[in-house]
Amino acid sequence: MRAIFRFGKIGRLKFVSHLDLQRYMQRAFSRTELPVAFSQGFNPHPVMSFASALAMGWVSEYEVLDVKLDTPISKEFALKEMRSALPPELPVYEVRFVDDRHASMMSLVKMSDYEIEILENMDKIKEAAREFLLSESVMAIRKTKSSEREINIRPLCVYLSSQENCLKTRLMLTEADTLKPDLLLKTLSEMAGIEVPRCQIKRTKLIGLAKSGRETPLMEL
Amino acid sequence: MNLSDRIDDMMAKVLKPSRYLGSEFGSIMKNAEDVSVRYAFLFPDVYEVAMSHLGMKILYHTLNKRDDVWCERVCSPWPDMEKLMEENGVPLFSLESRTPVKDFDLLGITLQYEMSFTNILKALSLSGIELYQKDRVDGPFVICGGPCAYNPEPLCDFVDVFTLGDGEETIHQTVDVYKRWKESGAPREEYLKMCAREVDGAYVPSLYDVVYNDDGTIASVTPKEGSGAKELVFKALVNDLTAADYPEKLIVPYGEVVHDRIMLEIFRGCTRGCRFCQAGMVYRPVRERSMDRLLEIADKLVKATGFDEISLMSLSSGDYSCLPELAHEMITRYMKKRVKISLPSQRIDTFLKDTLKETQKVRKTALTLAPEAGTQRLRDVINKGVTEEDLIRAVTDAFEEGWSAVKLYFMIGLPTETDEDVLGIADLAEKVRKAYFSVPKDRRAPGLRITVSASVFVPKAHTPFQWSGQLDKETVIRRQKMLKMELNKVKGVDFKYHEPDVSYIEAVFARGDRRLSKVLREAVNLGCHFDGWTEFFDNEKWMQAFKNAGIDPDFYAARNIDVNECLAWGHIDSGVSQAFLKREWEKAQRAETTQDCRKGCVGCGVKRYGGACE
Repeated sequence: MRAIFRFGKIGRLKFVSHLDLQRYMQRAFSRTELPVAFSQGFNPHPVMSFASALAMGWVSEYEVLDVKLDTPISKEFALKEMRSALPPELPVYEVRFVDDRHASMMSLVKMSDYEIEILENMDKIKEAAREFLLSESVMAIRKTKSSEREINIRPLCVYLSSQENCLKTRLMLTEADTLKPDLLLKTLSEMAGIEVPRCQIKRTKLIGLAKSGRETPLMEL
Repeated sequence: MNLSDRIDDMMAKVLKPSRYLGSEFGSIMKNAEDVSVRYAFLFPDVYEVAMSHLGMKILYHTLNKRDDVWCERVCSPWPDMEKLMEENGVPLFSLESRTPVKDFDLLGITLQYEMSFTNILKALSLSGIELYQKDRVDGPFVICGGPCAYNPEPLCDFVDVFTLGDGEETIHQTVDVYKRWKESGAPREEYLKMCAREVDGAYVPSLYDVVYNDDGTIASVTPKEGSGAKELVFKALVNDLTAADYPEKLIVPYGEVVHDRIMLEIFRGCTRGCRFCQAGMVYRPVRERSMDRLLEIADKLVKATGFDEISLMSLSSGDYSCLPELAHEMITRYMKKRVKISLPSQRIDTFLKDTLKETQKVRKTALTLAPEAGTQRLRDVINKGVTEEDLIRAVTDAFEEGWSAVKLYFMIGLPTETDEDVLGIADLAEKVRKAYFSVPKDRRAPGLRITVSASVFVPKAHTPFQWSGQLDKETVIRRQKMLKMELNKVKGVDFKYHEPDVSYIEAVFARGDRRLSKVLREAVNLGCHFDGWTEFFDNEKWMQAFKNAGIDPDFYAARNIDVNECLAWGHIDSGVSQAFLKREWEKAQRAETTQDCRKGCVGCGVKRYGGACE
């Protein structure tokens, strides 16, 4: 059986790197009575994975941790134990259990929802967002660890709307096609002819595809 | 923007933001309004080093147990952060509540190594606290403790109070006295006088006059009249460690720190009497924590932290009276929980084969041994009660049990050392190699690795070698080279050694006096900080600092001090008496050893303390 936890990463903890968070979670499991399954080998560690890494500096209310258990437990127990082992800035929102054969949460992620709180020049960003939505193609340079490539990011943005001082967007997040919210904002800023405004990026949902092809929050898949 | 937001704004620009986050699991948050004393505990180095320090964990825990005190941690910002803070006018802040250090009532600083002294000055200036003690009219009192407080003199101008000895109880006394002082509304100096009179092991440098002779040596150090300060300040001593406070939860850092594990102090003090070792002298007498108490603490800490390793800490863990029982019990208890047990600073002559076997079940690291000197004569001079036979037996045992990596620690420049003694190190390495090959091939692990590390000897206050000058740099370098050539002939040996420049500065401050405060000030002005880190240590700047201050460093580092001379730290009593140290220094010159005092009292002087050595 596997437990899928949804938790948040807020406050100062947005500056904890993904690697540090992984190690931190391993220790957190050791502080609980959860029957977490361990890997074999010389250095056994909990069998766990995150659905998606979150960049340093972003906050989130939809981080998903997938962990293998040796024996079944109740939801109440799972939540109680995890909450006791984590600080308030890593709030645990919900848990569900899936069969071992269930696809890994990581492989199910297709898109992610973000809210980008814009702290200055929102009017110009709003205009650029309108222009962005009307364009068929918007070229931007995507940097990865190994390469730098100019791609059309317009199709990678599934949804974009602007509210008072906030952009709400759904962006592709698969191995082949990914658009990160900071690149979107940078592109919009360039279109508006301004410096990238100060902002706070928040992940609000991870999205996968149901059998019907419908976009569905990861925890419901 | 408030301070916390301004700090957050800098996080995107620094190397490791997790150093400045606080809010780790186990860190303690309180309401500032609910407490009457706010205590900032500064470890003057980077977060990863600070968070590996046991003393801070103990004191943080014991202070925060009180409802009327909130103790928060402060670390030196790494140079990238330091620069940003200076550019943006962000003051040094506490990790927990991000309060400026200047707003605290008391600022405790731990003095772990001389090369952190510049970081202390830097921290004071980042905090906006007046550097010189005499100029302070507000802000926290600066209180320093830790091993380097046994020669506090180089820091005297910057520090309000030093506390000598075990801190578990004296830290509470400094707080209690503070509360009373605050209620009384008395002037600032009165707190210092109250500490000098009432706090065990408190030394208030501003209450003393130092008179110098024409040749630069010290004529006298005496308490100012009517100050109530003691002529001889005795260290504070906690006699019962089993009953003493010990943390039952620990802070679990987000990033990796140097010692990412549970540290379990099994005893304090050491009976060996190695003559170079300051810790072995100043932490006397030996006080053990009971095995039951240790197991109780370990259980709680494993549960509270989730760490997967427990380190048994002490100066000489092999000497713990129930070590085999303790190691056995812990290994069996935690095997299932996948918690590893490690025994650091292992002593070869007490290494137990059975324990070795058990340790191996859990983890196999390099066997670390510290013969310190290459020949028996020199080992007798330093009173390292270990023979070549002990060493070879220990490594042979280890090789038979499946070890294949050995680390050997030595010092170059010990008093009376000759070229022969240094060449003896290579000889010893060769014998270790032979011991490995004496074990049949099918019974030993493949891949022998011998690491020989040689540091440069630094004479320290309150040791029998406090009167010895440090060996000159040219000879040190020549002997290092000579040893390197000799070790090249031994296959499979990796040789590590240090630049002597850092050790030289260390020696200056280890035996320094009040006049060195000028040098520290100059060094910080020239940009010296993080001097314990090779990437930041800048010898040229230090030499410039000595020049600017008009001080000859050789006077402190290189000079043999006459045993009748007035010592800069002579008014500090570390427990061992100057008479004992003198006897030991004389015996050292004759290469005579002194027994381990578990085998019978050697009269070190610590019995002058009530309740010690019983």
